[in-house]
Amino acid sequence: MTDDGPAIDPGEYEDVWVFVEEHDGDVMPVSWELLAEAERLTEQTGDDLVALAIGEDLADVAEEAIARGADRVLVADDPVFEPYRADPYGEQFRAMVEERKPSIVLIGGTHTGRDFAGRVAVPAHAGLTADVTEIDVDDEGILQARRPAFGGDILATILCEEHRPQMATIRPGVFEAAEPDPDRTDGEVVEVDVVVDDAISEVLERSVGDTADITEADRIVAVGHGVEGDLEPARELAEALDAELAASRAAVDEGWIDGARQVGQTGKTVRPELYVAVGISGAIQHVEGMNKSETVVAINTDPNAPIFDHADYGIVGDLFEVCPALADRLGDEPIQEVVQ
Amino acid sequence: MTWTIVVGIKQVPDADEVGIDPDTGRLDRASAPAVMNGPDRHALEAALTIRDAVDGEVIAMTMGPPNATSILEEAVAMGCDDAVLISDRAFAGSDTWPTSLTLARAAAELGADVVVAGEETTDSSTGQVPPGIAAHNGWAQLTYAEAVDPRPEEGRLVARRDVEGGYELVAAELPVVVAVAFGEFDPRPAPLHRKIYGENDFEPTVWDAEDLGIEDEVGLDVSPTSVGRMETVDPVERKNEVVDDVDDLAEAITEVTA
Repeated sequence: MTDDGPAIDPGEYEDVWVFVEEHDGDVMPVSWELLAEAERLTEQTGDDLVALAIGEDLADVAEEAIARGADRVLVADDPVFEPYRADPYGEQFRAMVEERKPSIVLIGGTHTGRDFAGRVAVPAHAGLTADVTEIDVDDEGILQARRPAFGGDILATILCEEHRPQMATIRPGVFEAAEPDPDRTDGEVVEVDVVVDDAISEVLERSVGDTADITEADRIVAVGHGVEGDLEPARELAEALDAELAASRAAVDEGWIDGARQVGQTGKTVRPELYVAVGISGAIQHVEGMNKSETVVAINTDPNAPIFDHADYGIVGDLFEVCPALADRLGDEPIQEVVQ
Repeated sequence: MTWTIVVGIKQVPDADEVGIDPDTGRLDRASAPAVMNGPDRHALEAALTIRDAVDGEVIAMTMGPPNATSILEEAVAMGCDDAVLISDRAFAGSDTWPTSLTLARAAAELGADVVVAGEETTDSSTGQVPPGIAAHNGWAQLTYAEAVDPRPEEGRLVARRDVEGGYELVAAELPVVVAVAFGEFDPRPAPLHRKIYGENDFEPTVWDAEDLGIEDEVGLDVSPTSVGRMETVDPVERKNEVVDDVDDLAEAITEVTA
Protein backbone atom coordinates (compact mmCIF):
# COMPACT_ATOMS: atom_id res chain seq x y z
CA MET A 1 0.00 0.00 0.00
CA THR A 2 1.10 3.55 -0.59
CA ASP A 3 -0.72 5.14 2.34
CA ASP A 4 2.31 7.21 3.16
CA GLY A 5 1.43 9.64 0.44
CA PRO A 6 3.00 11.26 -2.57
CA ALA A 7 6.81 11.61 -2.70
CA ILE A 8 6.73 10.70 -6.34
CA ASP A 9 8.62 12.25 -9.20
CA PRO A 10 6.10 13.18 -11.89
CA GLY A 11 8.97 13.19 -14.40
CA GLU A 12 9.19 9.40 -14.14
CA TYR A 13 5.69 9.07 -15.49
CA GLU A 14 4.97 9.25 -19.20
CA ASP A 15 2.46 8.29 -21.88
CA VAL A 16 -1.28 8.59 -22.15
CA TRP A 17 -3.24 5.40 -21.59
CA VAL A 18 -6.75 4.67 -22.73
CA PHE A 19 -8.66 1.73 -21.33
CA VAL A 20 -10.39 -0.24 -24.08
CA GLU A 21 -13.51 -1.71 -22.51
CA GLU A 22 -14.70 -4.87 -24.19
CA HIS A 23 -17.31 -7.45 -23.30
CA ASP A 24 -17.33 -10.68 -25.31
CA GLY A 25 -15.21 -9.02 -27.98
CA ASP A 26 -17.52 -6.02 -28.36
CA VAL A 27 -15.77 -2.76 -27.60
CA MET A 28 -17.75 0.02 -25.93
CA PRO A 29 -17.83 3.02 -28.32
CA VAL A 30 -16.60 5.39 -25.59
CA SER A 31 -13.21 3.64 -25.72
CA TRP A 32 -12.65 4.77 -29.30
CA GLU A 33 -13.95 8.24 -28.47
CA LEU A 34 -11.30 8.51 -25.76
CA LEU A 35 -8.56 7.15 -28.02
CA ALA A 36 -9.27 9.92 -30.56
CA GLU A 37 -9.28 12.62 -27.87
CA ALA A 38 -6.16 11.21 -26.21
CA GLU A 39 -4.34 11.34 -29.54
CA ARG A 40 -4.93 15.08 -29.53
CA LEU A 41 -3.28 15.26 -26.08
CA THR A 42 -0.24 13.21 -27.14
CA GLU A 43 0.28 15.48 -30.11
CA GLN A 44 0.73 18.28 -27.57
CA THR A 45 2.87 16.40 -25.06
CA GLY A 46 4.88 14.12 -27.33
CA ASP A 47 3.85 11.09 -25.27
CA ASP A 48 3.01 7.72 -26.75
CA LEU A 49 -0.66 6.82 -27.07
CA VAL A 50 -1.17 3.49 -25.34
CA ALA A 51 -4.32 1.37 -25.37
CA LEU A 52 -4.97 -1.26 -22.71
CA ALA A 53 -7.13 -4.26 -23.23
CA ILE A 54 -8.04 -6.74 -20.50
CA GLY A 55 -10.05 -9.87 -21.31
CA GLU A 56 -9.79 -13.01 -23.38
CA ASP A 57 -9.00 -13.46 -27.11
CA LEU A 58 -8.11 -9.84 -27.70
CA ALA A 59 -6.18 -10.03 -31.00
CA ASP A 60 -8.94 -8.27 -32.97
CA VAL A 61 -9.37 -5.62 -30.31
CA ALA A 62 -5.63 -4.91 -30.31
CA GLU A 63 -5.57 -4.68 -34.10
CA GLU A 64 -8.47 -2.24 -34.10
CA ALA A 65 -6.84 -0.08 -31.41
CA ILE A 66 -3.79 0.28 -33.64
CA ALA A 67 -5.94 1.05 -36.68
CA ARG A 68 -7.56 3.75 -34.60
CA GLY A 69 -4.30 5.40 -33.62
CA ALA A 70 -2.65 3.58 -30.70
CA ASP A 71 1.16 3.49 -30.79
CA ARG A 72 1.15 0.52 -28.46
CA VAL A 73 -1.45 -1.87 -27.07
CA LEU A 74 -0.93 -3.55 -23.72
CA VAL A 75 -2.85 -6.80 -23.70
CA ALA A 76 -3.70 -8.85 -20.60
CA ASP A 77 -5.28 -11.92 -22.14
CA ASP A 78 -6.57 -14.60 -19.79
CA PRO A 79 -9.84 -16.44 -19.03
CA VAL A 80 -9.72 -15.06 -15.46
CA PHE A 81 -10.87 -11.73 -16.90
CA GLU A 82 -14.09 -13.01 -18.50
CA PRO A 83 -16.64 -11.83 -17.76
CA TYR A 84 -15.70 -8.51 -16.17
CA ARG A 85 -15.39 -8.23 -12.38
CA ALA A 86 -13.92 -5.30 -10.47
CA ASP A 87 -11.38 -7.19 -8.38
CA PRO A 88 -9.35 -9.06 -11.03
CA TYR A 89 -9.55 -6.14 -13.48
CA GLY A 90 -8.49 -3.66 -10.82
CA GLU A 91 -5.60 -5.82 -9.62
CA GLN A 92 -4.28 -6.37 -13.15
CA PHE A 93 -4.64 -2.75 -14.13
CA ARG A 94 -2.91 -1.64 -10.95
CA ALA A 95 0.04 -3.94 -11.60
CA MET A 96 0.39 -2.49 -15.09
CA VAL A 97 0.23 1.07 -13.78
CA GLU A 98 2.86 0.39 -11.11
CA GLU A 99 5.23 -1.30 -13.53
CA ARG A 100 4.90 1.07 -16.47
CA LYS A 101 4.08 4.42 -14.82
CA PRO A 102 1.67 6.20 -17.15
CA SER A 103 1.21 9.94 -16.75
CA ILE A 104 -2.44 10.03 -17.76
CA VAL A 105 -5.05 7.25 -17.71
CA LEU A 106 -8.47 7.74 -19.33
CA ILE A 107 -11.38 5.37 -18.67
CA GLY A 108 -14.89 5.49 -20.14
CA GLY A 109 -17.50 6.56 -17.60
CA THR A 110 -19.59 3.44 -18.12
CA HIS A 111 -20.83 1.34 -15.22
CA THR A 112 -17.80 -0.87 -15.74
CA GLY A 113 -15.35 2.03 -15.94
CA ARG A 114 -16.76 3.74 -12.89
CA ASP A 115 -16.86 0.40 -11.06
CA PHE A 116 -13.17 -0.37 -11.28
CA ALA A 117 -11.34 2.97 -11.77
CA GLY A 118 -11.19 3.42 -7.99
CA ARG A 119 -9.62 0.00 -7.57
CA VAL A 120 -6.61 1.35 -9.44
CA ALA A 121 -6.62 4.90 -8.13
CA VAL A 122 -6.86 4.00 -4.45
CA PRO A 123 -3.88 1.64 -4.15
CA ALA A 124 -1.81 3.77 -6.55
CA HIS A 125 -2.79 6.93 -4.60
CA ALA A 126 -3.61 8.42 -7.99
CA GLY A 127 -5.85 11.38 -8.59
CA LEU A 128 -9.16 10.28 -10.07
CA THR A 129 -11.68 12.72 -11.49
CA ALA A 130 -15.17 11.45 -12.23
CA ASP A 131 -17.52 12.08 -15.10
CA VAL A 132 -15.30 14.43 -17.07
CA THR A 133 -16.64 16.17 -20.19
CA GLU A 134 -13.57 18.13 -21.38
CA ILE A 135 -9.86 17.39 -21.18
CA ASP A 136 -6.73 19.32 -21.97
CA VAL A 137 -3.13 19.31 -20.92
CA ASP A 138 -0.94 22.30 -19.98
CA ASP A 139 2.71 22.93 -20.85
CA GLU A 140 3.88 20.93 -17.86
CA GLY A 141 1.81 17.90 -18.73
CA ILE A 142 -0.81 18.56 -16.06
CA LEU A 143 -4.18 17.19 -17.11
CA GLN A 144 -6.99 19.72 -16.99
CA ALA A 145 -10.02 17.53 -16.33
CA ARG A 146 -13.23 19.52 -16.53
CA ARG A 147 -16.50 18.29 -15.13
CA PRO A 148 -19.89 19.85 -14.65
CA ALA A 149 -20.63 20.79 -11.05
CA PHE A 150 -23.68 22.00 -9.18
CA GLY A 151 -26.14 20.53 -11.65
CA GLY A 152 -24.27 21.65 -14.73
CA ASP A 153 -24.20 25.44 -14.36
CA ILE A 154 -20.54 25.44 -13.53
CA LEU A 155 -17.58 23.68 -15.09
CA ALA A 156 -14.91 22.81 -12.54
CA THR A 157 -11.35 22.07 -13.61
CA ILE A 158 -9.85 19.34 -11.46
CA LEU A 159 -6.09 18.99 -11.25
CA CYS A 160 -3.75 16.34 -9.92
CA GLU A 161 -0.40 18.03 -9.57
CA GLU A 162 1.62 15.92 -7.15
CA HIS A 163 0.37 12.40 -7.72
CA ARG A 164 0.49 10.07 -10.70
CA PRO A 165 -1.13 8.77 -12.75
CA GLN A 166 -3.68 11.47 -13.43
CA MET A 167 -6.82 9.44 -13.92
CA ALA A 168 -10.26 10.37 -15.20
CA THR A 169 -13.47 8.62 -16.05
CA ILE A 170 -15.01 10.34 -19.06
CA ARG A 171 -18.62 10.52 -19.99
CA PRO A 172 -19.64 8.55 -23.09
CA GLY A 173 -20.72 10.53 -26.11
CA VAL A 174 -18.86 13.79 -25.54
CA PHE A 175 -16.02 13.11 -27.99
CA GLU A 176 -16.15 11.80 -31.52
CA ALA A 177 -14.35 8.59 -32.39
CA ALA A 178 -11.94 8.55 -35.32
CA GLU A 179 -12.56 6.10 -38.16
CA PRO A 180 -10.16 3.14 -38.16
CA ASP A 181 -7.41 3.32 -40.74
CA PRO A 182 -6.82 -0.25 -42.01
CA ASP A 183 -3.40 0.76 -43.39
CA ARG A 184 -2.21 1.71 -39.93
CA THR A 185 -0.60 -1.54 -38.76
CA ASP A 186 2.74 -0.43 -37.35
CA GLY A 187 1.65 -0.25 -33.71
CA GLU A 188 3.20 -2.58 -31.18
CA VAL A 189 1.21 -5.24 -29.32
CA VAL A 190 2.68 -6.07 -25.92
CA GLU A 191 1.43 -9.14 -24.05
CA VAL A 192 1.74 -8.21 -20.38
CA ASP A 193 2.18 -10.61 -17.48
CA VAL A 194 -1.11 -11.68 -15.99
CA VAL A 195 -0.82 -11.25 -12.23
CA VAL A 196 -4.31 -12.43 -11.26
CA ASP A 197 -5.34 -16.02 -10.70
CA ASP A 198 -8.41 -15.69 -8.53
CA ALA A 199 -11.40 -13.48 -7.79
CA ILE A 200 -13.55 -12.73 -4.76
CA SER A 201 -16.62 -12.30 -6.92
CA GLU A 202 -18.34 -14.50 -9.45
CA VAL A 203 -20.73 -13.66 -12.29
CA LEU A 204 -23.65 -16.09 -12.05
CA GLU A 205 -25.57 -14.76 -15.02
CA ARG A 206 -25.16 -12.03 -17.57
CA SER A 207 -27.90 -10.86 -19.88
CA VAL A 208 -27.21 -8.08 -22.33
CA GLY A 209 -29.65 -7.83 -25.17
CA ASP A 210 -30.85 -4.51 -26.44
CA THR A 211 -27.65 -2.50 -26.24
CA ALA A 212 -29.27 0.65 -27.54
CA ASP A 213 -26.53 3.23 -27.86
CA ILE A 214 -28.28 6.57 -27.84
CA THR A 215 -24.95 8.40 -27.96
CA GLU A 216 -24.60 7.32 -31.61
CA ALA A 217 -28.12 8.29 -32.69
CA ASP A 218 -28.69 11.04 -35.26
CA ARG A 219 -32.21 11.67 -34.07
CA ILE A 220 -33.71 11.20 -30.64
CA VAL A 221 -37.21 11.38 -29.21
CA ALA A 222 -36.93 11.61 -25.43
CA VAL A 223 -39.72 11.13 -22.93
CA GLY A 224 -40.13 12.58 -19.46
CA HIS A 225 -42.54 12.51 -16.59
CA GLY A 226 -45.30 14.03 -18.74
CA VAL A 227 -45.85 10.82 -20.72
CA GLU A 228 -47.40 9.29 -17.60
CA GLY A 229 -46.13 5.83 -18.42
CA ASP A 230 -47.58 5.74 -21.94
CA LEU A 231 -44.69 5.61 -24.37
CA GLU A 232 -46.82 4.92 -27.43
CA PRO A 233 -47.18 8.50 -28.75
CA ALA A 234 -43.43 9.08 -28.43
CA ARG A 235 -42.69 5.71 -30.01
CA GLU A 236 -44.91 6.56 -32.93
CA LEU A 237 -43.12 9.86 -33.39
CA ALA A 238 -39.72 8.17 -33.12
CA GLU A 239 -40.74 5.73 -35.82
CA ALA A 240 -41.86 8.51 -38.14
CA LEU A 241 -38.53 10.26 -37.60
CA ASP A 242 -36.40 7.10 -37.67
CA ALA A 243 -35.20 8.19 -34.22
CA GLU A 244 -34.01 6.37 -31.10
CA LEU A 245 -36.13 6.57 -27.97
CA ALA A 246 -34.50 8.14 -24.91
CA ALA A 247 -35.65 9.44 -21.54
CA SER A 248 -35.11 11.78 -18.64
CA ARG A 249 -34.19 10.42 -15.24
CA ALA A 250 -37.78 10.82 -14.06
CA ALA A 251 -39.03 8.37 -16.70
CA VAL A 252 -36.22 5.90 -15.95
CA ASP A 253 -36.84 6.05 -12.20
CA GLU A 254 -40.52 5.33 -12.82
CA GLY A 255 -39.42 2.18 -14.63
CA TRP A 256 -41.05 3.17 -17.92
CA ILE A 257 -37.86 2.81 -19.93
CA ASP A 258 -34.45 1.20 -19.64
CA GLY A 259 -31.69 3.08 -17.83
CA ALA A 260 -29.38 2.65 -20.84
CA ARG A 261 -31.55 5.22 -22.60
CA GLN A 262 -31.25 7.92 -19.94
CA VAL A 263 -29.98 11.33 -21.03
CA GLY A 264 -28.48 13.74 -18.52
CA GLN A 265 -26.02 14.19 -15.70
CA THR A 266 -26.40 10.68 -14.37
CA GLY A 267 -27.12 9.23 -17.81
CA LYS A 268 -25.59 9.76 -21.21
CA THR A 269 -24.51 12.77 -23.19
CA VAL A 270 -26.00 12.83 -26.67
CA ARG A 271 -25.29 14.97 -29.70
CA PRO A 272 -27.92 14.22 -32.37
CA GLU A 273 -28.95 16.52 -35.22
CA LEU A 274 -32.50 16.49 -33.80
CA TYR A 275 -33.63 16.08 -30.19
CA VAL A 276 -37.36 16.07 -29.48
CA ALA A 277 -38.20 16.42 -25.77
CA VAL A 278 -41.66 15.02 -25.09
CA GLY A 279 -43.17 15.82 -21.69
CA ILE A 280 -39.77 16.74 -20.27
CA SER A 281 -39.73 19.75 -17.95
CA GLY A 282 -36.07 20.55 -18.60
CA ALA A 283 -34.23 20.21 -15.29
CA ILE A 284 -30.66 21.41 -15.63
CA GLN A 285 -29.36 17.87 -15.03
CA HIS A 286 -31.23 16.74 -18.13
CA VAL A 287 -30.29 19.73 -20.27
CA GLU A 288 -26.65 19.07 -19.51
CA GLY A 289 -26.87 15.75 -21.35
CA MET A 290 -28.59 17.09 -24.44
CA ASN A 291 -27.30 20.61 -25.02
CA LYS A 292 -24.85 19.41 -27.65
CA SER A 293 -27.82 18.54 -29.87
CA GLU A 294 -27.96 20.59 -33.07
CA THR A 295 -31.68 21.31 -32.94
CA VAL A 296 -33.96 20.85 -29.94
CA VAL A 297 -37.73 20.61 -30.16
CA ALA A 298 -39.93 20.71 -27.04
CA ILE A 299 -43.48 19.47 -26.60
CA ASN A 300 -44.99 20.34 -23.22
CA THR A 301 -48.32 21.44 -21.78
CA ASP A 302 -46.65 23.89 -19.39
CA PRO A 303 -45.70 27.14 -21.18
CA ASN A 304 -43.34 27.95 -18.29
CA ALA A 305 -41.41 24.68 -18.46
CA PRO A 306 -37.66 25.45 -18.53
CA ILE A 307 -37.25 23.13 -21.53
CA PHE A 308 -38.57 25.91 -23.79
CA ASP A 309 -35.55 28.04 -22.84
CA HIS A 310 -33.31 25.28 -24.15
CA ALA A 311 -35.28 24.55 -27.34
CA ASP A 312 -35.13 25.89 -30.87
CA TYR A 313 -38.75 25.08 -31.54
CA GLY A 314 -41.50 24.44 -29.06
CA ILE A 315 -45.18 23.81 -28.94
CA VAL A 316 -47.38 24.22 -25.90
CA GLY A 317 -49.76 21.33 -26.11
CA ASP A 318 -50.86 17.92 -24.96
CA LEU A 319 -48.30 15.38 -26.10
CA PHE A 320 -51.01 12.76 -26.51
CA GLU A 321 -52.45 14.94 -29.30
CA VAL A 322 -49.30 16.60 -30.63
CA CYS A 323 -47.16 13.47 -31.04
CA PRO A 324 -49.61 11.46 -33.17
CA ALA A 325 -50.46 14.53 -35.29
CA LEU A 326 -46.78 15.27 -35.79
CA ALA A 327 -45.99 11.64 -36.58
CA ASP A 328 -48.78 11.75 -39.10
CA ARG A 329 -47.35 14.82 -40.85
CA LEU A 330 -43.78 13.49 -40.78
CA GLY A 331 -44.41 9.85 -41.49
CA ASP A 332 -46.68 9.92 -44.52
CA GLU A 333 -43.92 10.20 -47.02
CA PRO A 334 -40.17 10.14 -46.81
CA ILE A 335 -38.94 13.31 -45.14
CA GLN A 336 -36.80 14.41 -48.07
CA GLU A 337 -39.82 14.50 -50.35
CA VAL A 338 -41.84 16.59 -47.95
CA VAL A 339 -39.18 19.24 -48.14
CA GLN A 340 -39.17 19.42 -51.92
CA MET B 1 -23.51 -16.06 12.04
CA THR B 2 -25.09 -12.64 12.28
CA TRP B 3 -24.31 -9.97 9.73
CA THR B 4 -23.19 -6.48 10.57
CA ILE B 5 -24.58 -4.22 7.86
CA VAL B 6 -23.09 -0.73 7.76
CA VAL B 7 -24.83 1.86 5.65
CA GLY B 8 -22.99 4.99 4.55
CA ILE B 9 -25.08 8.15 4.25
CA LYS B 10 -24.23 11.79 3.54
CA GLN B 11 -25.75 15.16 4.28
CA VAL B 12 -25.99 17.32 1.14
CA PRO B 13 -27.59 20.64 0.18
CA ASP B 14 -31.15 20.08 -1.00
CA ALA B 15 -30.74 20.17 -4.77
CA ASP B 16 -34.30 21.41 -5.26
CA GLU B 17 -33.72 24.36 -2.97
CA VAL B 18 -30.36 25.54 -4.26
CA GLY B 19 -30.92 29.13 -5.39
CA ILE B 20 -29.07 31.47 -7.70
CA ASP B 21 -27.14 34.29 -6.09
CA PRO B 22 -28.50 37.43 -7.80
CA ASP B 23 -25.16 39.24 -7.46
CA THR B 24 -22.87 36.61 -8.92
CA GLY B 25 -25.29 34.57 -11.00
CA ARG B 26 -23.81 31.49 -9.37
CA LEU B 27 -25.54 28.77 -7.48
CA ASP B 28 -25.89 29.59 -3.83
CA ARG B 29 -25.56 26.31 -1.97
CA ALA B 30 -25.29 27.88 1.45
CA SER B 31 -28.91 28.96 1.39
CA ALA B 32 -30.20 25.45 0.74
CA PRO B 33 -31.23 23.32 3.70
CA ALA B 34 -29.04 20.29 4.45
CA VAL B 35 -30.79 16.99 3.81
CA MET B 36 -29.98 13.32 3.43
CA ASN B 37 -28.57 12.46 -0.01
CA GLY B 38 -31.52 10.97 -1.92
CA PRO B 39 -29.73 7.86 -3.22
CA ASP B 40 -28.65 7.07 0.37
CA ARG B 41 -32.29 6.78 1.43
CA HIS B 42 -32.53 3.93 -1.09
CA ALA B 43 -29.33 2.47 0.34
CA LEU B 44 -30.91 2.52 3.81
CA GLU B 45 -33.86 0.59 2.45
CA ALA B 46 -31.51 -1.94 0.85
CA ALA B 47 -29.62 -2.33 4.13
CA LEU B 48 -32.84 -2.90 6.08
CA THR B 49 -33.99 -5.35 3.38
CA ILE B 50 -30.81 -7.37 3.89
CA ARG B 51 -31.37 -7.36 7.67
CA ASP B 52 -34.95 -8.54 7.13
CA ALA B 53 -33.51 -11.60 5.36
CA VAL B 54 -30.59 -12.44 7.65
CA ASP B 55 -29.84 -12.33 11.33
CA GLY B 56 -28.06 -9.05 11.85
CA GLU B 57 -27.93 -5.38 12.71
CA VAL B 58 -27.77 -2.21 10.65
CA ILE B 59 -25.46 0.66 11.66
CA ALA B 60 -25.58 3.98 9.82
CA MET B 61 -22.38 5.99 9.44
CA THR B 62 -21.79 9.47 8.12
CA MET B 63 -18.73 11.66 7.74
CA GLY B 64 -19.61 15.30 8.23
CA PRO B 65 -20.08 18.22 10.59
CA PRO B 66 -21.81 17.74 13.97
CA ASN B 67 -25.17 18.84 12.56
CA ALA B 68 -25.11 15.81 10.24
CA THR B 69 -26.45 14.00 13.33
CA SER B 70 -29.91 14.86 12.03
CA ILE B 71 -29.61 12.41 9.12
CA LEU B 72 -28.40 9.72 11.52
CA GLU B 73 -31.52 10.33 13.61
CA GLU B 74 -33.59 9.87 10.47
CA ALA B 75 -31.75 6.63 9.71
CA VAL B 76 -32.41 5.35 13.21
CA ALA B 77 -36.06 6.34 12.87
CA MET B 78 -36.26 4.32 9.66
CA GLY B 79 -34.98 1.25 11.49
CA CYS B 80 -31.20 1.34 11.89
CA ASP B 81 -30.04 -0.19 15.15
CA ASP B 82 -27.22 2.27 15.76
CA ALA B 83 -25.29 5.10 14.13
CA VAL B 84 -21.82 6.66 14.05
CA LEU B 85 -20.89 10.26 13.31
CA ILE B 86 -17.34 10.64 11.98
CA SER B 87 -16.47 14.27 12.48
CA ASP B 88 -13.20 16.18 12.62
CA ARG B 89 -11.83 19.42 11.23
CA ALA B 90 -8.89 17.36 10.00
CA PHE B 91 -11.16 15.98 7.26
CA ALA B 92 -11.62 19.41 5.64
CA GLY B 93 -10.67 19.43 1.97
CA SER B 94 -10.69 15.64 1.63
CA ASP B 95 -11.33 14.39 -1.89
CA THR B 96 -12.62 10.89 -2.60
CA TRP B 97 -9.32 9.19 -1.67
CA PRO B 98 -9.20 10.17 2.05
CA THR B 99 -12.99 10.13 2.27
CA SER B 100 -13.15 6.52 1.20
CA LEU B 101 -10.20 5.72 3.49
CA THR B 102 -12.06 7.19 6.46
CA LEU B 103 -15.23 5.28 5.72
CA ALA B 104 -13.24 2.11 5.02
CA ARG B 105 -11.55 2.33 8.42
CA ALA B 106 -14.85 3.01 10.16
CA ALA B 107 -16.52 0.07 8.41
CA ALA B 108 -13.67 -2.22 9.42
CA GLU B 109 -13.81 -0.90 13.00
CA LEU B 110 -17.53 -1.68 13.10
CA GLY B 111 -16.84 -5.21 11.87
CA ALA B 112 -18.88 -4.77 8.71
CA ASP B 113 -19.82 -7.82 6.70
CA VAL B 114 -21.71 -5.65 4.23
CA VAL B 115 -21.35 -1.93 3.54
CA VAL B 116 -24.25 -0.36 1.65
CA ALA B 117 -24.22 3.11 0.08
CA GLY B 118 -26.06 5.10 -2.56
CA GLU B 119 -24.59 4.99 -6.08
CA GLU B 120 -23.52 8.62 -5.84
CA THR B 121 -24.22 11.87 -4.01
CA THR B 122 -26.29 14.66 -5.51
CA ASP B 123 -23.70 17.31 -4.60
CA SER B 124 -20.49 15.85 -5.99
CA SER B 125 -21.77 12.88 -8.02
CA THR B 126 -18.48 11.04 -8.41
CA GLY B 127 -19.72 7.56 -7.49
CA GLN B 128 -16.13 6.88 -6.41
CA VAL B 129 -16.53 6.45 -2.69
CA PRO B 130 -18.14 2.98 -2.54
CA PRO B 131 -15.50 1.38 -4.82
CA GLY B 132 -12.89 3.39 -2.86
CA ILE B 133 -14.03 1.86 0.43
CA ALA B 134 -13.78 -1.63 -1.11
CA ALA B 135 -10.36 -0.89 -2.58
CA HIS B 136 -8.90 0.48 0.67
CA ASN B 137 -9.99 -2.65 2.53
CA GLY B 138 -9.36 -5.14 -0.28
CA TRP B 139 -13.01 -6.15 -0.16
CA ALA B 140 -15.36 -7.18 -2.96
CA GLN B 141 -17.76 -4.65 -4.44
CA LEU B 142 -21.11 -4.70 -6.19
CA THR B 143 -22.04 -1.35 -7.76
CA TYR B 144 -25.24 -0.27 -9.54
CA ALA B 145 -27.11 -2.94 -7.54
CA GLU B 146 -30.81 -3.09 -8.44
CA ALA B 147 -31.67 -5.99 -6.17
CA VAL B 148 -29.89 -7.83 -3.36
CA ASP B 149 -30.05 -11.46 -2.37
CA PRO B 150 -28.09 -12.25 0.81
CA ARG B 151 -26.98 -15.89 1.04
CA PRO B 152 -25.68 -16.42 4.58
CA GLU B 153 -25.35 -20.16 4.04
CA GLU B 154 -22.76 -19.47 1.31
CA GLY B 155 -21.16 -16.51 3.10
CA ARG B 156 -21.90 -14.45 0.02
CA LEU B 157 -24.19 -11.72 -1.18
CA VAL B 158 -25.64 -11.78 -4.67
CA ALA B 159 -26.71 -8.59 -6.42
CA ARG B 160 -28.40 -7.91 -9.68
CA ARG B 161 -26.26 -5.19 -11.27
CA ASP B 162 -27.44 -2.78 -13.91
CA VAL B 163 -25.02 -2.84 -16.84
CA GLU B 164 -25.25 -1.08 -20.19
CA GLY B 165 -28.00 -2.78 -22.17
CA GLY B 166 -28.87 -5.41 -19.60
CA TYR B 167 -28.04 -6.80 -16.20
CA GLU B 168 -25.82 -9.30 -14.48
CA LEU B 169 -26.08 -11.37 -11.32
CA VAL B 170 -22.85 -11.25 -9.36
CA ALA B 171 -22.03 -13.11 -6.15
CA ALA B 172 -19.40 -11.60 -3.87
CA GLU B 173 -17.66 -12.97 -0.83
CA LEU B 174 -18.05 -11.07 2.43
CA PRO B 175 -17.10 -8.44 3.37
CA VAL B 176 -18.60 -6.65 0.41
CA VAL B 177 -19.43 -3.06 -0.47
CA VAL B 178 -22.76 -2.60 -2.26
CA ALA B 179 -23.58 0.64 -4.09
CA VAL B 180 -27.30 0.77 -4.73
CA ALA B 181 -28.70 2.01 -8.06
CA PHE B 182 -30.92 5.01 -7.43
CA GLY B 183 -34.63 4.39 -7.81
CA GLU B 184 -34.63 0.65 -7.17
CA PHE B 185 -35.41 0.53 -3.46
CA ASP B 186 -38.50 2.33 -2.25
CA PRO B 187 -37.61 3.70 1.20
CA ARG B 188 -39.93 2.59 4.00
CA PRO B 189 -41.60 5.27 6.13
CA ALA B 190 -40.34 5.79 9.65
CA PRO B 191 -42.93 4.85 12.29
CA LEU B 192 -43.81 7.61 14.75
CA HIS B 193 -42.38 5.92 17.83
CA ARG B 194 -39.02 5.51 16.07
CA LYS B 195 -39.05 9.16 14.99
CA ILE B 196 -39.61 10.23 18.58
CA TYR B 197 -36.83 7.91 19.75
CA GLY B 198 -34.44 9.11 17.03
CA GLU B 199 -34.99 12.79 17.73
CA ASN B 200 -35.21 12.73 21.52
CA ASP B 201 -33.35 9.80 23.00
CA PHE B 202 -30.85 8.59 20.45
CA GLU B 203 -27.22 9.77 20.54
CA PRO B 204 -24.77 8.57 17.90
CA THR B 205 -21.28 7.35 18.68
CA VAL B 206 -18.83 10.06 17.62
CA TRP B 207 -15.40 9.28 16.17
CA ASP B 208 -12.65 11.63 15.08
CA ALA B 209 -9.66 10.97 12.81
CA GLU B 210 -7.49 9.93 15.75
CA ASP B 211 -10.04 7.37 16.90
CA LEU B 212 -9.62 5.78 13.48
CA GLY B 213 -5.83 6.18 13.50
CA ILE B 214 -5.81 8.19 10.30
CA GLU B 215 -5.11 11.73 11.51
CA ASP B 216 -2.14 12.04 9.14
CA GLU B 217 -3.88 10.47 6.18
CA VAL B 218 -6.85 12.76 5.63
CA GLY B 219 -7.65 16.29 4.55
CA LEU B 220 -6.49 18.53 1.76
CA ASP B 221 -2.79 17.63 2.00
CA VAL B 222 -3.19 13.98 1.14
CA SER B 223 -5.94 14.50 -1.44
CA PRO B 224 -4.49 13.74 -4.87
CA THR B 225 -6.92 16.05 -6.65
CA SER B 226 -7.58 19.74 -6.21
CA VAL B 227 -10.06 22.12 -7.74
CA GLY B 228 -8.53 24.60 -10.16
CA ARG B 229 -10.78 26.98 -12.01
CA MET B 230 -14.55 27.21 -11.78
CA GLU B 231 -16.25 28.62 -14.86
CA THR B 232 -19.88 29.44 -15.39
CA VAL B 233 -21.19 27.53 -18.36
CA ASP B 234 -22.63 29.77 -21.05
CA PRO B 235 -26.05 28.59 -22.10
CA VAL B 236 -26.26 27.20 -25.62
CA GLU B 237 -27.88 29.70 -27.98
CA ARG B 238 -31.31 28.46 -29.06
CA LYS B 239 -33.94 29.96 -31.34
CA ASN B 240 -36.70 29.71 -28.70
CA GLU B 241 -39.47 29.82 -31.30
CA VAL B 242 -42.79 28.65 -29.95
CA VAL B 243 -45.20 27.68 -32.72
CA ASP B 244 -48.95 27.43 -32.49
CA ASP B 245 -49.80 24.45 -34.58
CA VAL B 246 -48.44 21.08 -35.47
CA ASP B 247 -48.01 21.89 -39.16
CA ASP B 248 -45.54 24.65 -38.34
CA LEU B 249 -43.65 22.30 -36.06
CA ALA B 250 -43.55 19.59 -38.73
CA GLU B 251 -42.19 22.11 -41.18
CA ALA B 252 -39.46 23.21 -38.79
CA ILE B 253 -38.48 19.59 -38.17
CA THR B 254 -38.31 18.68 -41.85
CA GLU B 255 -35.99 21.62 -42.44
CA VAL B 256 -33.64 20.16 -39.86
CA THR B 257 -33.77 16.56 -41.01
CA ALA B 258 -33.61 17.16 -44.75
